[in-house]
Amino acid sequence: MDQHSNHHQRRNGTVSVPEPCPHLSDFRSLHGGAKPFRALQDCLRVRPPGRAAIRRDPNEVPRCASCGLSSPASRLYACVSCAAVSCLAHAPSHAAVGGGGGHEIAVDVDRAELFCCMCEDQVYDRDFDAAVVLAQTAASTLGGGGGSAHPPLPPPPENLRKRRRVDYRPWTPDPRERALVVSNSSPLNGKATSSGLPWGLRGLNNLGNTCFMNSVLQALLHTPPLRNYFLSDRHNRYFCQQQQQKNNNNSVRKNDNKNWRLCLACDMDAIFSAAFSGDRTTYSPAKFLYSWWQHAANLASYEQQDAHEFFISMLDGIHEKVEKDKRKPQSQGKGDCCIAHRVFCGILRSDVMCTACGFTSATYEPCVDISLDLEPNQVASTKKPSTKSLHSCSGEADSKCSSQTCGISTLMGCLDRFTRPERLGSEIFCQRCQVKQESLKQMSIRKLPLVSCFHIKRFEHSSKQKMSRKVDRYLQFPFSLDMAPYLSSSILRGRFGNRIFSFDGEEPDGSSELSSEFELFAVITHSGKLEAGHYVTYLRLSNQWYKCDDAWISQVNEDIVRAAQGYMMFYVQKMLYYKASEKPGAS
Amino acid sequence: MSVPNDDNPSSHAQLSANVFSDLLDSIIVDVASECHRIARLGLDRNLEEEEEELRLSAQARARVADPSNSAETNSKYVVDIFGQTHPSVANEVFDCMNCGRSVVAGRFAPHLEKCMGKGRKARLKTTRSSTAAQNRYSRGSPGSTYSPYSTSTSMNRLSNGTPGVSGEEYSNGTLEES
Repeated sequence: MDQHSNHHQRRNGTVSVPEPCPHLSDFRSLHGGAKPFRALQDCLRVRPPGRAAIRRDPNEVPRCASCGLSSPASRLYACVSCAAVSCLAHAPSHAAVGGGGGHEIAVDVDRAELFCCMCEDQVYDRDFDAAVVLAQTAASTLGGGGGSAHPPLPPPPENLRKRRRVDYRPWTPDPRERALVVSNSSPLNGKATSSGLPWGLRGLNNLGNTCFMNSVLQALLHTPPLRNYFLSDRHNRYFCQQQQQKNNNNSVRKNDNKNWRLCLACDMDAIFSAAFSGDRTTYSPAKFLYSWWQHAANLASYEQQDAHEFFISMLDGIHEKVEKDKRKPQSQGKGDCCIAHRVFCGILRSDVMCTACGFTSATYEPCVDISLDLEPNQVASTKKPSTKSLHSCSGEADSKCSSQTCGISTLMGCLDRFTRPERLGSEIFCQRCQVKQESLKQMSIRKLPLVSCFHIKRFEHSSKQKMSRKVDRYLQFPFSLDMAPYLSSSILRGRFGNRIFSFDGEEPDGSSELSSEFELFAVITHSGKLEAGHYVTYLRLSNQWYKCDDAWISQVNEDIVRAAQGYMMFYVQKMLYYKASEKPGAS
Repeated sequence: MSVPNDDNPSSHAQLSANVFSDLLDSIIVDVASECHRIARLGLDRNLEEEEEELRLSAQARARVADPSNSAETNSKYVVDIFGQTHPSVANEVFDCMNCGRSVVAGRFAPHLEKCMGKGRKARLKTTRSSTAAQNRYSRGSPGSTYSPYSTSTSMNRLSNGTPGVSGEEYSNGTLEES
């Protein structure tokens, strides 16, 4: 099988089912397709954390029919046709006995893997895998060792199904629309872009320790879905203010007489208008600061702030306003409550598994970004295997320069650790055991947002020394990032032994409507110390990198960005990125 | 497989060595079987792309560290990409939207703080605590959920500060002590 070309054809993380060997296909046609594998269902025994074995009865100790060897002295294979158990040495003779009677296919009793005695190789079958997964699922849910056909996993958040990928179609206005545009707008000053510099690039004045705000604003100004939203006038600040005045005739706000209602989205709209106006003189986001301080009263002070905290607070401000307007609480999980969540909100899945009985419970929660710990100091030559699943290996092939051998912290390494199972002490109550047990907790991403923001916790607190310090260690981050290994479907599949089965939201045929490939478009860096530092944003526009240092915009080589100390990294789904950057003249 | 040289019941030592060897083989087969499956089903990660990114990153760091290359990051700005130059303290003047007075942009924040009556006093209010699921099990918070404020404690904060580039003399005025 040509493994190399497979990489480029298939999407990372999806299963490609190999063609059955002739013996397996013969076996299936001889024995009626999936029947023999389903019949094995009763013999599948699953023990926590999910390893499946084949045993006719639970306490059976399988032995080779010819020589009596048992595990682990030799691996044992049970013939799928007649259940005769043979060791590795005696398996071929049993297969030959059949003489076409279909004894070529056996199953490894301790690993629940099919083996073709003629090919002398492990083989794979969808129906067999399905039987194993069903047994494993039953073992991890309250159904116990039952025969429930459908794994009762928690219902996935509804909106995952609704989003369909729409093919990109270039749009031009029809005559009526053109007339509408002409009569209701005025052309922007074209002079400013005659140099070919991207629209929307404009320096932001530092208003006094506000580079934390400027850096985030610059990233947001060039977040494709957010930019598109505001530039297509989806939140018109004049209209919004007008609506608010109509709705709130008696207001208790102090600034009644100024006829202005607090709305961070309106202020964002103003900033977008200013940034994309073509005017390249620096802009002061004073109104925005004023609005934000009214929203985040506890953060309102002229002192040094954190960019990430501002980012979260700001998104919250946009969301809250929408809630107030609609006068009913918006379900956070849906993510279509406001533009902030539509763009940044993803869904995390958290699985907690009892190590005693294997019972697993899953919960979902929305998140607008992911905060990652920087790995503790690594010794340069330490090769640490990263176990992705709760019991099987990650499948990372040995490579000459993996991040672990080179000793560099990487974003993917952080994500690996984020999705790694972690041991919790005996603090979780197991619903099946009815006592507190030691558990394993594993995070994964159920739904990817349109834009993924990663926040690196560059903070180290030593309770012994009663001090905090900033971690300056370099973190490698890719320009292209595939999030497939961190999806719930991938993590679950790994946990269930990488079986051929569709997990948690995957389409049965393996194709998914949503891509997991992302492109980096903005990086916020922090330089200096914990108490006194400076934020700068790097933006990628039309595949060129720009540095936004408050009022100063400059062009930089991508090397500068790769070598920079990332604090917040913004990635956008690749299909959106390509559509935007391929348009001539657009960023 | 070497038999340990032991005067003591060597059959015991040999037996345990055999058992150990069998167990080790079994574990090796576990790994081999899993990797075989991952490879055959096309689930192995595309390490070429990841390695390429690592290589580019290492290359970039080497180039940036090389003093012979024009140091961009720390150089003082002369003109920006539009040919403009900017003072260390932003000198645009506008009216404060709270009190109506004229303010210089670079000093707007300290002005606004006093003008709005904010500052240290306001900071004494506690942040609304989040009910993040990550914190449910009293572990570190791996992700920021949608919650009024970030799940990270205030200790995870990095402060920004003086505008401008390191090495520059940008001043933003003294911190207000209240």
